[in-house]
Amino acid sequence: MLPKGAAKKVTIYVNGDTRHHVEPLWNVIFSFLKQKQVAGATVIRPDLGFGSHGQVHDPKSEYAGDHLPVRIEFIETPKRVDELLPFLYDMVTDGLIEVQDTTIIKAAANVKMEPPQSQPAQNPPHDHFAGPAKLVRIYLGESDKLDGEPLYEAIVKKLHMLDFAGATVYRGILGYGVKRHTHKSGRLHFSRDLPIMISVVERAERLDELVGVVTDMLQDGLVVVSDAEMYRVLAREGAGND
Amino acid sequence: MTELIPGKLLRVHLSENDRYEDRRLYDAIVDRCRELGVAGATVFRALEGYGGSSEILRAHMLGKDLPIVVTIVETPENAARLLPELRKMLPNGMIAVSDIGMIRVQKTV
Repeated sequence: MLPKGAAKKVTIYVNGDTRHHVEPLWNVIFSFLKQKQVAGATVIRPDLGFGSHGQVHDPKSEYAGDHLPVRIEFIETPKRVDELLPFLYDMVTDGLIEVQDTTIIKAAANVKMEPPQSQPAQNPPHDHFAGPAKLVRIYLGESDKLDGEPLYEAIVKKLHMLDFAGATVYRGILGYGVKRHTHKSGRLHFSRDLPIMISVVERAERLDELVGVVTDMLQDGLVVVSDAEMYRVLAREGAGND
Repeated sequence: MTELIPGKLLRVHLSENDRYEDRRLYDAIVDRCRELGVAGATVFRALEGYGGSSEILRAHMLGKDLPIVVTIVETPENAARLLPELRKMLPNGMIAVSDIGMIRVQKTV
């Protein structure tokens, strides 16, 4: 699975009938990427195109047959791309290779992946982290909204996306805060506005980033930071410990 | 670097059925905080717990007496003023005080 963050997207344009020995070149490139276990590759046949020969390629053109443009795309870490590029450079005798900087926001697989057999199962099944941490408590109101969505939900989603270690939302039963109105749910209150507290524990070095994200999203509220020690145990995915 | 105002976090542990002058203790504490001009107070109800009385508090078929935590965030000076008041109101229970840094966010008026 690709890690989040900086990555490279490689796009290769070739003609459908360009051959590498006897096989179509696009197929050879695709097999090569598969064999090298890149995170994923896609072969796309466009409807129309032209390249350095100035010849328009479309399925209707008379001599077309298989002479259609083919695009192969894959995304990998910068390091892997650097390793693979010399091979691709050599293989693409007629076509174009393009590399773009990109960012992985999410790479998720629904299916539990079998660990690759080339790696012996010597790794411990858990990741451990122990060290100085910060406990951040965020106080807000249950009826606070961000674009129609409860603000506490929006904050938790955002923190999840940014890979913060974890967040827990607590609902109070009574309280008041900066706006000095009482948050209370009575039997006759249909719309309730109870106090909400979100607690987040994260490594100390990510405190500034965390506080920045939260204060940007918060309308009225309080952010409380205290020192903590963190002992975190993470069950590693696909380690066969279930 | 994040600018934090030094403060204190008070956590007052009690149980839901504790009374103070014919009303719920946590209600009375929140009102007292307001009278004293404390910036804010929040009451949380827990699912289960035990404390000074060594009785396990959890919801039963016949009513409930669950653990309650009142949290208050204040400047060190105001916290010091508030503590004796809280102590007077609490028959048995526990107050935990920790050092914190705080950021007030107020974007609406």
